[in-house]
Amino acid sequence: MKIIKMLRSFFLVDLLKGMFVTFRHQNPADLVTEQYPMERPLISERFRGQPQLRKDEAGNPLCTACGACALACPEKLIKVGSVRDPETKKKVLTEFEFDMSRCMFCGLCEEACNSDALDLSPEYELALYSREGMQMDKDKLENGIPRKVYEQ
Amino acid sequence: MIKNILEYLHSNTTPGEAGNLFWVVVYVLLVFAGVSFGVVFMNWFERKVMAHMQVRLGPMRVGPHGLLQPVADALKLIIKEDLMPANADKLVFWFAPVCVVMTAFCSFIVVPFGRTHAITDMNIGVLFMLGVSSLGVLGVIMAGWASNSHYPLMGSLRSGAQMVSYEIAMSMAVVSAVMMTSMATGTGTLSMIGIVQAQMQQHIWFGFSFFPVGLTAMGVFAIAMVAETNRAPFDLPEAESELVAGFMTEYSGFRWSLFFLAEYTSMMAVSSIATTLWLGGWLRPFPNLLGGANWDTAFSLIPGLTFLLLSALSFYSFTLMPKLRSMRGSTLGLGGFAALLGLLGAFMLLPAVRVRVQDIFWFTLKVAFFMYLYIWYRTTFPRYRFDQLMKIGWKVLLPISIGVVILTALIGVRQELFALVWR
Repeated sequence: MKIIKMLRSFFLVDLLKGMFVTFRHQNPADLVTEQYPMERPLISERFRGQPQLRKDEAGNPLCTACGACALACPEKLIKVGSVRDPETKKKVLTEFEFDMSRCMFCGLCEEACNSDALDLSPEYELALYSREGMQMDKDKLENGIPRKVYEQ
Repeated sequence: MIKNILEYLHSNTTPGEAGNLFWVVVYVLLVFAGVSFGVVFMNWFERKVMAHMQVRLGPMRVGPHGLLQPVADALKLIIKEDLMPANADKLVFWFAPVCVVMTAFCSFIVVPFGRTHAITDMNIGVLFMLGVSSLGVLGVIMAGWASNSHYPLMGSLRSGAQMVSYEIAMSMAVVSAVMMTSMATGTGTLSMIGIVQAQMQQHIWFGFSFFPVGLTAMGVFAIAMVAETNRAPFDLPEAESELVAGFMTEYSGFRWSLFFLAEYTSMMAVSSIATTLWLGGWLRPFPNLLGGANWDTAFSLIPGLTFLLLSALSFYSFTLMPKLRSMRGSTLGLGGFAALLGLLGAFMLLPAVRVRVQDIFWFTLKVAFFMYLYIWYRTTFPRYRFDQLMKIGWKVLLPISIGVVILTALIGVRQELFALVWR
């Protein structure tokens, strides 16, 4: 056993093995790097990115202004404002503030939502030029922030 | 004057031997330009190969596949502010990079790229190269001392200790190869061209003679030369996790790029010593097995064909480039590169050119093999501890190299005696 170990170290077997491993990895098929703005990663549906307020097929807002998301938020960054419609006796959403700069994308608001309205979308390119842009209002949440698309 | 210049073209010696000053200057400029280009290429090649070994892409943006990245880096380094520490020893600080670069380039005076393609042929060629290249350690110690800072000083001390201890094993391995030169003729030589010619006469590369003695000597040299040039896994003098950047810590901008240039140049210099001594220098492979005029012609076609193959490869990737407006410059550049390579390849197929070029091609190919090994080591092996490094140098490599010298002598004497008896 000792002799074999000695021979292994004398003929640098382990070093050669390591060299073989690195040599093998030069195969371009192994590459995992993404050329980001040109190639985009496949983002899962369940990814928790920029928040959005969804609408049903007819285009009516799904949000019932119940405020469950605001209660669930650990950072207390959601503010829901509503008025009661005197005819239907239902709450109507008037304002929805979402401070994305403080958000940690935990997804508790999304889970708390009863009507499937608030959703953390797979949109992940959230860089902006100002902090004010991070304050999402109802309009931004429903229609999204217009962004310049990278063109080559 | 002009007659003197033209006369050299018909001679069969190096310009240094012919004593032709004009061609010496031309050769010096050519070697300087060639080695500098080699360093630039090596910079790109190292980053690319390392990236691929680590399953990355490496530089991709500047030029097609990052081919112009070294140019961009060099521009950045030249534009960068040149800092000098307030309490540094100004003169020594200024002279250290100059010293390192000078010694690294000086050793190329005797490197034979071919029978006539060397600046000069010295009768102490190998000794000169070893001496000059180990003078580089002086520059390193000067840099460390003049910086007046602790990390550079530690780095230069380590570098000094390392270079001095590996020098011995290296020289012993060289001695074994020099002893082999005396086998056929009875007189050994230290001249670089003489060593290659001895390999030609004995019909064997010294790496394979007295198997496995020659190979062991080459192995010892190949390990010692990595330590000698401060490259991974023996890069303790500039170990970034311990010493910031070692002796180069206080250097920036152009001075730092001089150190960089010197490092790669000395890598090439020691690789060309190894090539000359053990891999037959400019000789083509398989001169015995595939000998004869026909095979000579076939082998002389290889340089041109290699360039044509490279050209075809670049042209193939030229057709694969995405057809986008912003990529047009890169695409055209790659196409031009392919055309240039193709023209060079066609030029090298001309009978008058290919006879002269093939020496340089084989020599460069063998040096490139060693340079690839350098990169390969760097990606594969973790850095040694300093005591391990010293242990390898003194307790492993030195005894092996002394043993190799003794074995070479014994086998050589035995062969000479047999030759005497059988005659």
